[in-house]
Amino acid sequence: MTTALLTHPDCLNHITPPGHPERVDRLMAIYSALDAMDHTGLQRLDAPMGTDADILRVHPQVHIDAVKAAAPATGMVALDADTHMSTGSLKAAYRGVGAMTKAVDMVLGGEVQNAFAAMRPPGHHAEKQTPMGFCLFGNISIAAKHALDVHGLERVAVVDFDVHHGNGTQDLLWDEGRTLFISSHQMPLYPGSGAPHETGASGNILNVPLEPNSGGAELRHAYERIVLPALNEFKPQLVLISAGFDAHRSDPLANLNWDEADFVWATQALCDVADTHCEGRVVSTLEGGYDLDALAASTRAHLEVLIERGTHG
Amino acid sequence: MADTKVDEMSFEQAMAELEQVVGQLERGDVPLEDSIKLYERGAELKKRCETKLKEAEEKVAQITLGSDGQATGTTPVEGL
Repeated sequence: MTTALLTHPDCLNHITPPGHPERVDRLMAIYSALDAMDHTGLQRLDAPMGTDADILRVHPQVHIDAVKAAAPATGMVALDADTHMSTGSLKAAYRGVGAMTKAVDMVLGGEVQNAFAAMRPPGHHAEKQTPMGFCLFGNISIAAKHALDVHGLERVAVVDFDVHHGNGTQDLLWDEGRTLFISSHQMPLYPGSGAPHETGASGNILNVPLEPNSGGAELRHAYERIVLPALNEFKPQLVLISAGFDAHRSDPLANLNWDEADFVWATQALCDVADTHCEGRVVSTLEGGYDLDALAASTRAHLEVLIERGTHG
Repeated sequence: MADTKVDEMSFEQAMAELEQVVGQLERGDVPLEDSIKLYERGAELKKRCETKLKEAEEKVAQITLGSDGQATGTTPVEGL
């Protein structure tokens, strides 16, 4: 079996203002790292466009209409202090949706063992009717609902190790008892949510705040004590990963001290869960990560674990 | 974000701004990009508050009482 790598050059046309951390160069850095990799076991393909029907599984029509209406004909527009759209952003966002539904189709269809979507803009901060935190549509939640509603799965786990709380995913999956959403994140930090008492409508959300300046040891402790036991109890039929790499010690937007080995460890641990419960079926997508070297190295390390599992799993 | 140098602040000033910072972080009404700067400002303010508290503790004197129960003087508390 192989690993699918979904991306699209349209994601380079989502332009943000000069100095903005979520920038085109992020994806360029990832592409450079991927080009240097051995592509054995990797199936690289262009992400298709997602559809409104995909998005409507988690966002109301009014949100889609608002994002479409905000898209500028020229230049750039700011939706909030963080979140911008250029002329190419809408298409890039729809590619992000399509990448995830396609990845789920490929993994559940047995075409590939697992998949990674290298897309931007990211998605995990977008709430039902609120684009925010660089995000327009909740790509990972859309993937979860696609797996449930289209493929008929009954239990989908979503694990978010981006350094910021996945408030959007939490909002979109709050009432979805067929999903277990687990977010580990630095607290306090943007967006301010993600306390342990936020548990979803049916105990389907698990927030695992991490202390500022903590590192890999604390990550492993939290995963071994809280995250992995919860996943094993849930017995997912598919594991989705919101893979932000901004918990890296070099990241300028946070204070955690993870390194590439920690991302490898977390990825392996999540693949182990998938091996135990769902024949290794994992779909991962890029979220944050704003130090270009750390982002490129961490993404590569994450992808190499997926490839290794796809090849030898 | 205030321009006052944190290491020149009084305890009250540092505490007041720290409360403001914590409130902003908890409410999430600060942009993602600025959140880290705000957190770091908060950490600096917390350190200042702790320093000022320590100074105050060191100034606390143990009141020594005479046999009639009246205060007769002060002895600096050690070990704080």
